[in-house]
Amino acid sequence: MTAATRFASEADLLREEGPLLVFRLDEEAFAITVTAVHEILDVQPTTPVPNADLFAPGVINVRGVVVPVVDIRHRLMMEQATDPSRARIIVVEVVIDETTQKLAFAADTVEDVIEADITRVEKVPDLGAVWPQSYLRGAFRLKDELIILLNTETLFHPKAASQAAA
Amino acid sequence: MIEQAVEAFVQEATEILATLEDQILSLEHGATQQKVDEIFRALHTVKGSGAMFGYTCLSRFTHHFESAFELVRAGKLSVDSPLIDLCLAARDIMSEFLAFDGDNAGSRELLDSARVAELVEKLGRLTGEDAASGMSVGSTPKTAVEEMRLERTHYRISFVPEPHALKNGMRPDLLIKELAELGEISVRYDASNVPALSELDPTEACLGYVITLTTTASRSTIEDVFIFADDAALTLEETEVTASLVADPSSPIPPEPTTGQEETGATDARPATGSAGPVARKEVRSESIRVASSRLDDMMDSLGELVIAQARLDAVAQDIDDPTLESVVEEVSRLVVGLRDATLSIRMLPIETVFGKFKRVVRDLASDLGKEIQLITEGGETEVDKNVIDRIGEPIVHMIRNSIDHGIEAADAREAAGKKRMGTVRLSARQEGGEILIAIEDNGGGLDTDAIRGRAIERGLIPEENTLSEHDLHQLIFEPGFSTAKEVTSVSGRGVGMDAVKTTLDALGGTIDVFARQGRGTRVILRLPVTMAIIDGLRIRLGESVYVIPLSSVEECVELSDHDAARRSGRSVLEIRNEMVPFLELEHLFGQSGDGQAKRRVVIVRVDGARVGLVVDDILGQGQTVIKSLSSFHSSIPGLGGATILGDGRVALIIDVATLVRSADVPRAASVRRAA
Repeated sequence: MTAATRFASEADLLREEGPLLVFRLDEEAFAITVTAVHEILDVQPTTPVPNADLFAPGVINVRGVVVPVVDIRHRLMMEQATDPSRARIIVVEVVIDETTQKLAFAADTVEDVIEADITRVEKVPDLGAVWPQSYLRGAFRLKDELIILLNTETLFHPKAASQAAA
Repeated sequence: MIEQAVEAFVQEATEILATLEDQILSLEHGATQQKVDEIFRALHTVKGSGAMFGYTCLSRFTHHFESAFELVRAGKLSVDSPLIDLCLAARDIMSEFLAFDGDNAGSRELLDSARVAELVEKLGRLTGEDAASGMSVGSTPKTAVEEMRLERTHYRISFVPEPHALKNGMRPDLLIKELAELGEISVRYDASNVPALSELDPTEACLGYVITLTTTASRSTIEDVFIFADDAALTLEETEVTASLVADPSSPIPPEPTTGQEETGATDARPATGSAGPVARKEVRSESIRVASSRLDDMMDSLGELVIAQARLDAVAQDIDDPTLESVVEEVSRLVVGLRDATLSIRMLPIETVFGKFKRVVRDLASDLGKEIQLITEGGETEVDKNVIDRIGEPIVHMIRNSIDHGIEAADAREAAGKKRMGTVRLSARQEGGEILIAIEDNGGGLDTDAIRGRAIERGLIPEENTLSEHDLHQLIFEPGFSTAKEVTSVSGRGVGMDAVKTTLDALGGTIDVFARQGRGTRVILRLPVTMAIIDGLRIRLGESVYVIPLSSVEECVELSDHDAARRSGRSVLEIRNEMVPFLELEHLFGQSGDGQAKRRVVIVRVDGARVGLVVDDILGQGQTVIKSLSSFHSSIPGLGGATILGDGRVALIIDVATLVRSADVPRAASVRRAA
């Protein structure tokens, strides 16, 4: 492991959390910690939930468990996917309000699992980024590409973060 | 391991205390020796195991209670109303002690508190009064019977705990301490079974104890010390008897007769296996096993999976259409249904377990309010799912309080109205199809329809020129914050009650209905599903989505003709056998387009006592539906009661008819929401 840097605390945290899963939405690379990931599935027939929040429009069956499908594009203020049929479903297990909950979201492609020996997690510059800061933990560079590390706690919370509403 | 043992103790003690309340109350109808013995045993168990599992404050308090009861058991104290009051109060204190997590500052504070001291003093006075008639009760905490014994006997006790005893929470040190309270002791340790240090497992008991005890206590009292160490090898030998200084030489009473009633046949030294004596008492009650309810939940989950897989198998078999396969599928299907019924029945408890605690509520409340009231319960053997049982107690207590406070009049007023002085609250339960009906009836004054109408108009719930029937008006008492009480009492009148009752009922998928006749009485009927895990459901289609409507709320299905579909004054009404039934279009409620075909179907459901139609595209069939709860993302959406997995693996949402209809229509509901 590399020596401590200015962002040592964040890097330590990442080392503790282990490897990251990288996936893409509209060519942009995003990452979440792999420990949160339960499984990755092909597109499933989704049951729409009437009168549901736009962020959680439906449910799917994951091995006999009814799992809500969330639309992280909606939270990240991105356009709807152009070809949802080719998407991959990432099932994650996150702790929301002290209870562990399973939920699923769609990604265009799932890239790779990378070792998180990152020495630098930087703040995502406000300029030029459409994504609300409250859902991001930062960004890091990997092979000349900027990867956005998402904050699973706020991103998957049933209530939208207040900053995002603005 | 020890935590589990403590947990088991707390669970057992909680149950004992619940039963104890009933047992004490039953003394009012005459105290039989059997009832008294049961109470005594319950107290003794709590005292003994309390001390063993670190609830010594509870144990010390219970000791006083037990001492008093010992006199009742010996027939030296008669059971009367003040004694029952005292016992109930003492039981409540025991509950409070149990609520503390073992011995801590809180429990010690309670033990030293004035009200506990007062109660102990009252209990002490009971035993003390009796002492005047021939017994000497010292200040030492010993039971009266023990005090009566005048000879000192030397016992040689050899005690070798079973190797796993420590893991089960046995504490030899506490047992020895308890023995020390009985008299003078000396202890020797027998280390012959202790292995080499390298092989020593510190969680195993390998020491033996040889104790010589000089005491005035009886053999059975000593054996009682070891009552919870029944796996241990225990021998008890009398070495010699010496008369004590106070012994009356004219009555050389042998040790046994005075306490012979406690345990006969215990005169022989017990065999080394220690299986006789107190153990037998336990075996009588060991026909059932105690299982954590979370394990039942797990089992239920697996069963749910099985039912779903079986539905899938059915679908596959239908596609393949092979007679051999089909016969196997049929057999599997039959076995699954059997397994389902067996599993569900394990979760069923008689509703008596809830009814029991109301006797106390009625008794306390009636005496607080100075009314004369009797509670009659019927159908206590009706079985209901544990999840339902756990949540139904609170609402029923609420309605009983209402009946007593608002319903039943004071004795004089009753007499003036030509009724019996004593009012009656009748609590009954019975099963009707897939539903449990619980009725709470009183023969009090009924509901004040005019007051309800006035209050409803004042609150803007109904227009002034309302044409609601009396029965419909009565249902308004379930609206949030609705109260006609002229003054708020400590018991009721804040108007939060019935609303909360209705909310609980909704969450359980049940309904509530009130019938009242002025001057005659009130009857509240609760309808609850027998189980909340698997229901019979009607599958319907809307566009491409499949939904399930619980069959228990479905009355019938009809076709929707074009003629019916014509709207009348903005409200859709269907005519079925000369009855006008309003209907709602599911596609509008769910903002989801149907397939616009001409021949549509209407599912007639019953909500809050009224029939309402739900227009759907098609009816697909009915079958067992395993209810899966919705996540926090979707659980608060009105009209949805859960989800289930269909035979083809897709998820179907389960419609909660009551909240759906209420959220959709009913101008009354809308105005309530505005008012809130």
